Amino acid sequence: MSIKNSEAYQTLANGLWRDHPIFSMVLGICSALAVSNKVENAIAMGAGVTFVLVATAIIISLLRSLIPMRVRIITFMIVISTFVIIVDRFLKAFFPSISTAIGPYVGLIITNCIIMGRAEAFYIQNKPSLSIIDAFANGIGYTYTLVTIAAIREVLGFGTLMGFRVMPAGWTNWVIMSMAPGAFFILSVFIWLTRTIAKIESP
Amino acid sequence: MKDKLLMIVFVLVLGSILTASLLAVNDYTNPIIQTNNLRTVKSSILVAFGIPFNEENLDDIFSKNVKEELKGAATLYYSKTGDVAFEIAGSGLWGPIEGVLSLKHNLKTIKNLVIIHQEETPGLGGRISEKEFLNRFKGKAIYPKLEIVAPGKALNDNQVDGITGATMSGKALEALLNSEIKKYTSVLSEDTGQ
Repeated sequence: MSIKNSEAYQTLANGLWRDHPIFSMVLGICSALAVSNKVENAIAMGAGVTFVLVATAIIISLLRSLIPMRVRIITFMIVISTFVIIVDRFLKAFFPSISTAIGPYVGLIITNCIIMGRAEAFYIQNKPSLSIIDAFANGIGYTYTLVTIAAIREVLGFGTLMGFRVMPAGWTNWVIMSMAPGAFFILSVFIWLTRTIAKIESP
Repeated sequence: MKDKLLMIVFVLVLGSILTASLLAVNDYTNPIIQTNNLRTVKSSILVAFGIPFNEENLDDIFSKNVKEELKGAATLYYSKTGDVAFEIAGSGLWGPIEGVLSLKHNLKTIKNLVIIHQEETPGLGGRISEKEFLNRFKGKAIYPKLEIVAPGKALNDNQVDGITGATMSGKALEALLNSEIKKYTSVLSEDTGQ
């Protein structure tokens, strides 16, 4: 059996490309729009979501045979909220500047559909090792999308990249790029391009 | 019946374990977060007084140069040159604005303004926390009242040029500053009257 056919490889490829959380499943759009104005914030948000995904995957897949089916959603909810609060406290304590910048959106990781969606679709049915790979792949898939969009928006909207000036002195900032409409433009172009490349047909 | 009981037990047990872990995290991070907040206020006060400092010697410089005084419900900070600073807070156009304002020792003109927290529109109202805008407040008179006017229209001592496209945020900041100035100067004048 070649590597390409192994379950682990398939899971990884699904999260990173074929069933990519943003452009294929179109989940987690709210935070992708809101926190993609600066690369630094996008990385922090991506790391936060990846951590919560992996931690949730471990707990849910370990408990999968114990969780009563009728209360599984509330179980996901309390597990996810616990880890989100941990991320929030951690950022506040050790990265206060990033915490101020992305403030309310950390709390909103709780409602990020990627985590709830993957828990319901994958972690409740699969063993921990596969679930961790899936969580990692989805987290990275989400992160690279945010960072790509943020790189475009930060360069055009602020003239900087990771806080360093990249545009010439005479550059006029495209204010719209740092605001919500800019996020909608860039995210839709991103989804359009990636769906075309990945040959995903609209239903 | 047994199923239902198991369900309740499961949720209760899991909930208790997770809550306990959250309490532990909270206990561990709380002192660090409080120190961070205190440091933000301290560094803003030093910036407001124009005293240079860096990350390492912040506490040292602060305790050497700034005297803290509690007057009723108000906390006032004095520099060695007699300038006074206080924390300001209130609502902006979209969310709370917090910062520090310092007055020169004559208590009639602004020395500096620092914004610690604001949630105005990035690129428009959000520019109120930019240095270039805050510098416009330096040396402005607080009597009869501070005014933020259209850009280029500031003629008098008590008028500050606003930001294009951020008229409403400017108005909110103006109201906030004037009410905080009134609150603290009344405390200060009581003090000199005694």
